[in-house]
Amino acid sequence: MNTRFALPLAAAISLAATTAALADWPTDRPIEMIVAYAPGGGTDIMLRTLAPYLEADLGTQIPVMNRPGASGEIAYTALAQAKPDGYTISSLNTPGFLTMRIDRKLRFDPDDICPIARIVEDPGMFVVQAASEFNSLADLVAYAKDNPGAVSIGTTGVGTDEHLAMLQLEQSAGVDLTAVPFGGANEAKTALLGGHVTAIGLNVGEFASAEPGQIKGLAQFAGERSILAPELPTATEQGFDVLMSSERGLAAPCAVPEDLRAKLSDAVDRALANPEFQEKARQQGLALSYQSGADWSAAMPERLARYEEIFKLIKENQ
Amino acid sequence: MAGPAASDKGDRPDLLTAAIFVGFGALGLWQTRVLEGGTLAQMGPGFLPRVVCVLLIVLGLVIGFAALRRDAEPIEPIKLRPVIIITLSIVAFAYAATHLGFVIASLLLVIAGSLADPGGKWRTTLLLAAGLTAFGAIVFVYGLGVQVPLWPV
Amino acid sequence: MNFVDLLMLGFSEAMTPANLGFCLLGALLGTLIGVLPGIGPTATIAVLLPITFFLPPLAGIIMLAGIYYGAQYGGSTTAILVNLPGEASAVVTTLDGYQMARQGRAGAALAVAALGSFFAGTVATFAIAVAGPTLSSFALNFGPAEYVALMVFGLLAATILASGPVLKAIGMILIGLLLGMVGTDQATGAERLTFGAVELFDGIDFIVIAIGLFGFSEIISNLERSGSEGVTVAPLTRLWPTREDFRNSWAAVLRGTGLGTLLGLLPGGGATLASFSAYSLEKKVSRHPEKFGTGVVEGVAAPEAANNAAAQSSFIPLLTLGIPSNNMMAMMLSAFMIHGITPGPSVLTNQPEIFWGLVASMWIGNLLLVVINLPMIGLWVRLLTVPYRLLYPAILLFCCIGVYSMNNRIFDVILAAGFGLLGYVFRKAKCEPGPLLLGFVLGPLLEANLRRTLLITQGDPSIFIERPISLVMLIATVVLLGLMIFPAFRKTREEAFQEEEA
Repeated sequence: MNTRFALPLAAAISLAATTAALADWPTDRPIEMIVAYAPGGGTDIMLRTLAPYLEADLGTQIPVMNRPGASGEIAYTALAQAKPDGYTISSLNTPGFLTMRIDRKLRFDPDDICPIARIVEDPGMFVVQAASEFNSLADLVAYAKDNPGAVSIGTTGVGTDEHLAMLQLEQSAGVDLTAVPFGGANEAKTALLGGHVTAIGLNVGEFASAEPGQIKGLAQFAGERSILAPELPTATEQGFDVLMSSERGLAAPCAVPEDLRAKLSDAVDRALANPEFQEKARQQGLALSYQSGADWSAAMPERLARYEEIFKLIKENQ
Repeated sequence: MAGPAASDKGDRPDLLTAAIFVGFGALGLWQTRVLEGGTLAQMGPGFLPRVVCVLLIVLGLVIGFAALRRDAEPIEPIKLRPVIIITLSIVAFAYAATHLGFVIASLLLVIAGSLADPGGKWRTTLLLAAGLTAFGAIVFVYGLGVQVPLWPV
Repeated sequence: MNFVDLLMLGFSEAMTPANLGFCLLGALLGTLIGVLPGIGPTATIAVLLPITFFLPPLAGIIMLAGIYYGAQYGGSTTAILVNLPGEASAVVTTLDGYQMARQGRAGAALAVAALGSFFAGTVATFAIAVAGPTLSSFALNFGPAEYVALMVFGLLAATILASGPVLKAIGMILIGLLLGMVGTDQATGAERLTFGAVELFDGIDFIVIAIGLFGFSEIISNLERSGSEGVTVAPLTRLWPTREDFRNSWAAVLRGTGLGTLLGLLPGGGATLASFSAYSLEKKVSRHPEKFGTGVVEGVAAPEAANNAAAQSSFIPLLTLGIPSNNMMAMMLSAFMIHGITPGPSVLTNQPEIFWGLVASMWIGNLLLVVINLPMIGLWVRLLTVPYRLLYPAILLFCCIGVYSMNNRIFDVILAAGFGLLGYVFRKAKCEPGPLLLGFVLGPLLEANLRRTLLITQGDPSIFIERPISLVMLIATVVLLGLMIFPAFRKTREEAFQEEEA
C-alpha cells in the first residue's frame, strides 16, 4: 500500500529533475545532501523544500540524508571525509559551526569546510507573555537591576543562541539574569505561557509564525530589523549591545574545485529567487537572506571572535 | 525456592544482580569523576549521576549480602552458540549495510543468523534469506525511504 | 455555531471521499510502521512531510494524524506477538500481552487491545471536542516543580510493575536513569558517560535499548532454551475474547482511558507515563496483583486504552495553544505550518473546518482501525504458527533495519547488539528490563526539571511543597513508599485479600 504510494512520487520528483541539462558535472549522478539534524527539524524541512528547486536548476537528483548528532559534528565530519568531487554537500548552521571549535576537540578541521551559500539569517529575540508588565528590554533590565537573579530566561541550553544573547545582555546592561535551559523552543514557550519563567529567547522566524496574542517581543538581536518583524526594535536601538542571529546554509569540502562551488552557490541564488519557493519559505517563517559562499566565509572570522569573547565570559562566571 | 544443594549458600542470580548494580555504579562514578557537582541552586552535570551511582552501589551491596545468606540457587545453563552467532551476525549486518549495501547485508544477516539454530536446512535458509531480502528492499528501502544503498557503492 | 453544528461541520469535512481516503491511507501506513519494529512514526512522518505540500491542508494533516495513531495500534501487535515494544508506551503491553500469546490467547489479547484502544480513542476525541481549551490550561499549570513531583511518583510507581523483588526493580530504574544521562548535558553542555564516543553525544536512542533488551535478547534466550524447535506457543484455544475477558477488562479500560486522557495532555513522556501508570494502577486495585505478568487481560486492556487516549489527547495542547507536547506533535506542527496554518485559538474561530475536520477524522480513523484490525487478528495469530526457525531471522532483520535507519550509522546497531548481550545477562540475573526503560525515558525529564526548578527558585526546595499539585503528588509518593517499605503492612494486606477471596 505504502510502496505504491511513495513510488510515483519519487518518480515524479526524478522526472522533474531531468528536465534541464547543464554541463556534465552534476548530471551523471546524484548529489548527496547531508542534513546535520533529525528529520522534521527547521533545517531539515527547509532543505527538503529547497532540494527540488536545486534539482530542477542543476538537472540532477539531490537525495537528502540525515546525519544528526553532536550539534552537527557528525555531519561535518562526514562532509570533511567525503570525496571532494562536488557530489556531497551538507547543511551548515551558525553559531553551532563556529562555537563547537571553541571548547571542544573536533574530529574534523573546520578549515576543510567551505560555505557554498547562506540561505537564511534569523535573528534571536526575547519574548515575554502578552500580558507581561515588561514592554521593552529596558523594563526587563530595570527590574533585573533591583532583583538580581530573579529574572529567569528560558534558553535551549548552554552556548545556544539564546544563551549567548543573554550573556551579552548581562554584560552590556550590568545585570544578573538566570538562564533556565529547556529541551527546545517549544518547551520553553510552554513554560513561558504557564508563567514559570520571566522571558524566553526565540528566533524571529519562530515568533513571526506563532499564534498572535499570546506573546510579545521585547527586542530583536539583529543589526537591522528583520523583514519578518519590522515593528520590533533591535537591542542596539534600545541601547544594549546584543547581536545574535542564527544562519542556515549549505557547505562543501574546500577541496571541491572553486568553479563547482560557485555553480552550486548560483543555483541556490536562483532557487531562492523563485517566487514559488519564496511562498513556501514565507509559510514556514524562513527569513531568506542569501549570501554567496565567499561573502559568508568572509563574515565568519568576526562572528567567531565575538563568540570566543562570550565563551570566555562563561568560563569566568563559573 | 531451595536450590539443588540445600547445604550451599548463595543465590547466584541475585549475586549476579549485585555484581551488575555495583558494576554500573562504579563505572558511572569513574566516568563522571571529572564532572562538576555544583550546588543545589546551580546543579552541575555530575550531581545527579553521582547520586544515582551511589544508590546503585548501596543497593547492589544490600542485594549481594542478602543473597549470600540465602540457599544456593544456580544460574540457568548458558549455551554460547546462539549468544555469539546472533551478536556477530548483527554486527556484520551493520558494517555490510554501510559498505556493501542492503542486499548483501540482509542475506548475510539471515544466513549467518540462521546458523544460531542447529536444526536448519540450507535450502530453506537460502529461500528465506532471498525472500526476506526482497521484502526488506521493497518495503523499507523503496517504500519507507530508509537511507541505505542497495548495492555495493 | 453551537457544538453539534461544529461537530457536523467536522464530519462533513472528514467524510469527503478524498479525506476519507487519506485517513485510511494514514491509518494503514501507521499500522504498518507500528508493526515493523524500530521504524517509528516520527521518522515516517518526517519523510512524508514534504509530500503533503501537494495535498490540501486538511487532507495532509488527516493523513499524518492517521499515521500517528495507526502506529499506536500497530505497536501493540508486535508487543503482544513477539515481545517487542516498538515504542516506550508499548513496553508494558509486553508484560501480560506476550504471556497471553504464549498461552494461546493472542487473539483475545489483540482484540481487547484493539477494542480498548477504540473506546479510549473515542472518549479522548470527544474530550478534545468538548473540553479541549479547558483541559489545555491544566497542561500550563505544570511547571518544573510539578514535573519533578510527577516523575518521582511515576518512577516509584514503576516498581510495582515488576513481578520480582522490589529492590531489583529499583536497581533497574536506577540503571535506566543512568543510561538516560548519557550524552551532552542539556544545561551545561558537558559530556557525560560517553566514553569519548561522539556518537553518544546526543544520548542513546530509546529504540536501540528497546530492541537490544527485548528484541535481540529474546531471540538469544529462546534459541538457547532448546533451539528453535522448543519455542512453541500453546495451541490457539479461541480467537476472540471470552465473556470473562470482557468482564475483567471493562473497568480497566475505563480507568486507563481516564488516566491516559489526562496524562496525554502533559508535554514530555505523556503517553509512556500513561501506559505505565495505568498498568501500575490496575495492579494496585486488582484483587490478584500477583497474577500480573502471567497473562491477565487487565494488564493489556488498561495500558492499551491509556496510551491510545494519551495519543489523542496530546493533540489538545497543539490544537488549542499551538504547543506540541512531544516530537510527533512538533512534526504535526510543522505540517500545519507548511500549509500556513498556525495552530492555536484563532484556528478554532477562523478555520473551524480544520480543527473540527481533524477531530472528526480522528474518530473515523479509530473506527477504521478497529474495522481493519479485527479481521487482521486471524492473520496475525497465524503468524505465531510459523516455525520459529523461519520467524526469528525475520524479526532479527526488521530489528536491524529499524535501528540502522534511525541515524544511518553502524554504531547504533552495534550498541543495540551490546544491549542484547546486557539483556541476556539481565535474564540470567532474573532482572526484568521494563522498569529500566521507564527510568530511561523519565530520567532526563526528572533531572532537567529538578535543575530548572532550583535555578528558578535559586536553590530553595520549599517550592515543592508550596505548589498544590506538586504537594499532592509528593504526599502520594510518600504513602506509596511507606506501603513498600513496611512489608509487614503489605503482608497483612495481601492476607486480607486472600481471606476475602477464600
